[in-house]
Amino acid sequence: MIDLFLDIVTTAGILYVVAVGLLVVFGVLKIINFAHGGFLTIGGYAALITTELHLSPWVAPPLALVVGIVLGMVVERLIVRPLYSRPLDAILATWGLSIVVVQLITIGFGRGTQFVMSPLQGAVPLLGTSYSLYRLAMLATALIIGAAIAAILQGTRLGLTARAVIMNETLAQSLGINSALVRFVTFSVGAGLATMAGALITPLLSIDPLMGVPWLLNAFMLVMVSGTSLVSLALASLVLGGAQVVVSTYGNPILGALTIVVLAALLLRVRPAGFARA
Amino acid sequence: MRLPSQRFRRELRILIMLVLCGLLIVAVGPLVLDRYSVSILVRSFLYGSIAVTVDILWGFTGILSFGQSAFFGIGAYACGLAFDHFGISPGVALAALAAGLAVAGLVALLVAWLAFGARVSALYVSVVTLVLAIVFVQVIYAGGNFTGSSSGLSDFDTFDLSTAAWFRIAGAGLVVVTALGWIFVRSDMGSLLVSIRENETRCRYFGISVTWVKGGLLLASAIVAALAGFAYAGYNDVVAPDLGNFQFGTQLVIWVALGGRGTLIGPAIVAVLVDFVSAYLSGSLPFIWQLIIGGVFIVVIVAMPQGLGPACVAVIRRLIARPADAAPVAARLIAVPLRPTARGAQTPAIQLTGVTRSYGSLHVLEDITFSGRSGELVSLVGPNGAGKTTLIRCISDGEERTAGRVALQGCEIGRMAPERCVRLGLGRKFQAPTVFDALTVGQSLRVARSRIERLSFWRCADEIRLPEAAMRVVRATGLDTQLATTVRHLSHGAKQALELAMVLAMEPSVLMLDEPTAGLTKSERTVIGGILMELVAQHGLCILLIEHDLAFVREISSRIIVLYQGRIVLDGAVEEVASSELVRTIYTGEPQALGEPV
Repeated sequence: MIDLFLDIVTTAGILYVVAVGLLVVFGVLKIINFAHGGFLTIGGYAALITTELHLSPWVAPPLALVVGIVLGMVVERLIVRPLYSRPLDAILATWGLSIVVVQLITIGFGRGTQFVMSPLQGAVPLLGTSYSLYRLAMLATALIIGAAIAAILQGTRLGLTARAVIMNETLAQSLGINSALVRFVTFSVGAGLATMAGALITPLLSIDPLMGVPWLLNAFMLVMVSGTSLVSLALASLVLGGAQVVVSTYGNPILGALTIVVLAALLLRVRPAGFARA
Repeated sequence: MRLPSQRFRRELRILIMLVLCGLLIVAVGPLVLDRYSVSILVRSFLYGSIAVTVDILWGFTGILSFGQSAFFGIGAYACGLAFDHFGISPGVALAALAAGLAVAGLVALLVAWLAFGARVSALYVSVVTLVLAIVFVQVIYAGGNFTGSSSGLSDFDTFDLSTAAWFRIAGAGLVVVTALGWIFVRSDMGSLLVSIRENETRCRYFGISVTWVKGGLLLASAIVAALAGFAYAGYNDVVAPDLGNFQFGTQLVIWVALGGRGTLIGPAIVAVLVDFVSAYLSGSLPFIWQLIIGGVFIVVIVAMPQGLGPACVAVIRRLIARPADAAPVAARLIAVPLRPTARGAQTPAIQLTGVTRSYGSLHVLEDITFSGRSGELVSLVGPNGAGKTTLIRCISDGEERTAGRVALQGCEIGRMAPERCVRLGLGRKFQAPTVFDALTVGQSLRVARSRIERLSFWRCADEIRLPEAAMRVVRATGLDTQLATTVRHLSHGAKQALELAMVLAMEPSVLMLDEPTAGLTKSERTVIGGILMELVAQHGLCILLIEHDLAFVREISSRIIVLYQGRIVLDGAVEEVASSELVRTIYTGEPQALGEPV
């Protein structure tokens, strides 16, 4: 029972880490970044490079973050910015980008499955059971990321302008806020969060050029039911991730893989606002 | 001005020639192409057919589906499972085909039921189709040995047909699907699809069951995709979960975007070419080729949103002078008398009892009770934010109000959707001009009247019948000389007049107008005022008018209701209300605003 509980909260933590970059971009830019999966994959391979260079595995997440932010800047400028007024086209163009990413990685690293070093190994005794230290660290990471984003949004000038753009972009522009800059920074940060998430999840599983796709789908559905709220995303990760764990444990893994997308789709039918306040 | 039927005859001749050419190429193809090309093109042709269905869904109607692949997969597995488990016989083949189409159809209806509800967002259909493709793959995985799980089924006995025969079947299929699709989208029904893409809400307020139209379209496209899938499995002797996954579904969308959405031919050609070249290059340059496709796709989406097809056509047009007979095409307008309606003189045309609209504890409308009879022009006045537009919404959409009752012609609207309220005789003109930018004026009027005169699935009618009132609006504002003009190019005032004419074309018995003359010239205003008074006096309509120009209101109204902070503060004859002190102070604070000398 304790194991199940820990599985649920750590799964929620992992889902939150994976989806938060997508949510940040959706919140400010109002577009869905289908290259999110591609960025996750890039993060995974950044971790692979640190392993191959025999660097400390602790280097991987910050390295991935930096790589993601830089790539995000380029992508925002070249692909996303011209498509602000065409959100559906932005979905398609970013999906095209993720095809490009997958092919480049395949050319560079091959199609095979590979593994990376984990910075934290083994299990720790907790609540009378023994549990994977790395999964617990992922939960802590999720909390830290959530708190950091909330602190930036609530406590800094950039956060204030970002909130203004989220609520009413036209009004923000007329007040002299450079919304293009806010979008640029947000997309870069969102891409950085995605690559960092890719580096963070790889010690738990193998990496291959297509690793981003299932994560993208789950993250997409979580963002759809969360709207633009970090709190809703946490709630959605907990409820839907929890359902996935329960179904996989007591049902079968194939149904478990479907749990998040199917439940999210049904939830959106019954309540279009999802977990967000209507 | 040419009539649609003249253009249709000319285009049909060209189309028949093209179809015959296409069929000839398909018939000769296996004789001149090498064996490998022929075997690949069978698959490319099948993909081309599905790309055409995706274009009709997305390019014309605005339904972005990532899961059209799932229907293809269902058709393919119907064939693969049946032949693998029961062997091949004519009976098994027919039963498998019927089962595959039935399953695809039922799934399409399920998707339509989920995705085309009135209250879900426009992106939701993309979400549901994405989930459909994911579920399809997982269901195949879960099938274990029965479905072959992740490796699929192969080497089952299949139809005893040569590759050349399959080439001709698939090629002819593509030619026929494209030609039928082309006729369909050029018809009056095709205009309806575009109008749904352009403004779904406006369509609902013309009484069009958008949900059914979109559902029917999804059903038809699912059947075509499943047929293609069935042929694919019968030909290739292999089925795999990849056939129905969302990557393939997205691939189809990419082909359509590359070829040019809303062109049909473009997506068909691109699908065939890209798939064919992919197969050729997959041996020598597997990843580079995918990389190029991805890169080209991004460039096209960013720089050429119309796609490659229209971009090429534009270049060719610039090189070759336009043909001389580019006369505009539009149907003739025919004036018809209003249909007689059975209206009880005793029941009020519109009756509101205690209507309230609240957002939480905020009451935007409180306890609104009034009625309007046939032959009355009731003006709603009040300062901005008084709740006038909200009141109109509450009358025309059963979901809007929080409490109270609304009856149109004696029928309670309950929780009815707008399209059902419209069938009770309601017509609504929105505050901002709400028209279909991509259609011509003539097509717009035709679509607006679709509830009274059915739209053809294969041709454009030569005549648009309009009731006298709509006809007079059209004539007075000069729209009758611009029937072939695309609505996007009209002025603001002309769009206002067009929307009014479209609403009048549906022959409503209760007409709700939200500032119908904003943006019109003084003389157009006078004409429209006259038409409204005539509709009330001679045809017995009940009109509910929101208007800020009080001189205009005084001139044409039979009654004025004053709304202030969500309540009715005055309801009475024109002079009584207009001269009341209360109105002067709350409405503007200035006595001369009511059109009287101080």
